[in-house]
Amino acid sequence: MSALLPEGFTALEAFVEKWSVSGTAARAARRGESTQAEREAFYAAARDLLTPALAQLDSKPLPALDAAEKRLLDMMLSLAHVALAVEGLGDDEPRHATMREHMRITRSPAGI
Amino acid sequence: MNNIAPFAPVSAESLAWLGTGPIPAAPYYDPAWYALEREAVFKRSWLQIGHVCELPEPGSFIRRELEVVDASVLVVRGRDGQIRAFHNVCTHRGTQLVAEAEGKQGNFSCPYHRWSFALDGRLLSAPDFERFGLTKEECTLPGIALEICGGLIFINFAPAQSLAEELGDFAARLEQFPCASATNFSEYVYEIEGNWKLTYDNFQENYHLRFIHPRSGAAAAGEENPFGYPVKYEFQGPHRAQTIWSNPNARPTPVQAASFGRLGALAMADGLVGPTARDYLALFPNFFVIGSPGQPFSHTIWPLGPHRSRGVIRLYWKGEDDSASRRYAREYSMASARDIHAEDRNVIEAGQRGLNSGALRHIHFQTQEALCRHFFNNVSARVEAYKAEQTARPGVPA
Ligand code: FES
Ligand SMILES: [Fe+2]
Repeated sequence: MSALLPEGFTALEAFVEKWSVSGTAARAARRGESTQAEREAFYAAARDLLTPALAQLDSKPLPALDAAEKRLLDMMLSLAHVALAVEGLGDDEPRHATMREHMRITRSPAGI
Repeated sequence: MNNIAPFAPVSAESLAWLGTGPIPAAPYYDPAWYALEREAVFKRSWLQIGHVCELPEPGSFIRRELEVVDASVLVVRGRDGQIRAFHNVCTHRGTQLVAEAEGKQGNFSCPYHRWSFALDGRLLSAPDFERFGLTKEECTLPGIALEICGGLIFINFAPAQSLAEELGDFAARLEQFPCASATNFSEYVYEIEGNWKLTYDNFQENYHLRFIHPRSGAAAAGEENPFGYPVKYEFQGPHRAQTIWSNPNARPTPVQAASFGRLGALAMADGLVGPTARDYLALFPNFFVIGSPGQPFSHTIWPLGPHRSRGVIRLYWKGEDDSASRRYAREYSMASARDIHAEDRNVIEAGQRGLNSGALRHIHFQTQEALCRHFFNNVSARVEAYKAEQTARPGVPA
């Protein structure tokens, strides 16, 4: 029986389905199609877990991460996008999303 | 305590040599002027078209479509390790040799009648070749001048000067930029209903920052420098540079602080933090690259027509993603750069729609739009020189 997320991060389990997304362009798109309430709830739950999550994940090389760790990493990568909306843009985010669509992500070391 | 001198904008006197008058508007929308730029600028300037990390091994190639000069270009690493550029055109009857955007091959074989070319452009074999009455030497792929600086690949269809000569001391600086040691990159691309110069100008003036990027760009301005003007401008031939001002009192948000902190620590560990970290180079005609290790981006603006362009933005990284932290930091860096670039597109298009009617005879640049003025002066000088050259051609009536 394996947990969805590594021990210590179970508080984020409710957000796995929405925010554990593989690929940079896919994560950017998920931010663009999310609601403000979804972004704010995820940000509030994940913000303080960013540093501990990366500290724990850094103990292994990337290819050695197990499924739960990989999910956690993909969520932290989604947080990078969501934080820009919540911390930076606030209620300007919906208008901003329509402008971002034109900036097509074509390459990322994390895969697109 | 940091010992930072208060901000002082670059003085009008020091920039007066660029001129202060109005700028003609027609070059920013007129198809006839655009036709001249294709000849006078793009067919004879060093154009940034790729990075050495895209060609890791002998046989690695990239194909680039340069709509502005109607050329398809093949850049190839040869068996000798040398990187060369060719027109992507079979010397038999002109068929484009390579359809893939990138890849690795031992030679290039034309799909039409199977002429086959070596990585260095020589014709290797052609079916029934005796019937042509040609030598293989006559059938080599047409080459294009290529130079590399700071890991960046530049080509020139008719160079008057080497890239190294033209860049002067900018070359040594570029060699210290993050792109010089990059092995990898992120990329995003946009198309825009905007003239290439109108688009380019947006990215070399900070006058618009507080209006177009009030939230995403908040850290780039401050009380003592409300427009976020640069600390310094420099000019080198047709090229220019600015030294970016950083706000000593910026108050980053929590995830922003954690993310840039991580980027800074990684850049430090990788030996990427040097004296060029605040340099932003604008290389003639259509390329920008920045020395910042936290957001190490380049930006190329390709004309697609008098009123249409494509922007290609890359963030250059050294080494693979070897840890979760590194992957996270790069994700944040790219997403935050993209957030800012996304905000510029609409207002540039609005500028183009305004200009297209021809209602304006002139546009205006203030002193802190000095780089835009220097850019226009250089494009204009090339177009005028080209026109004079055409008129002076023997046999062509003046
Ligand atoms: S056109 Fe290429 S072999 Fe004929
Ligand atoms: Fe801008």
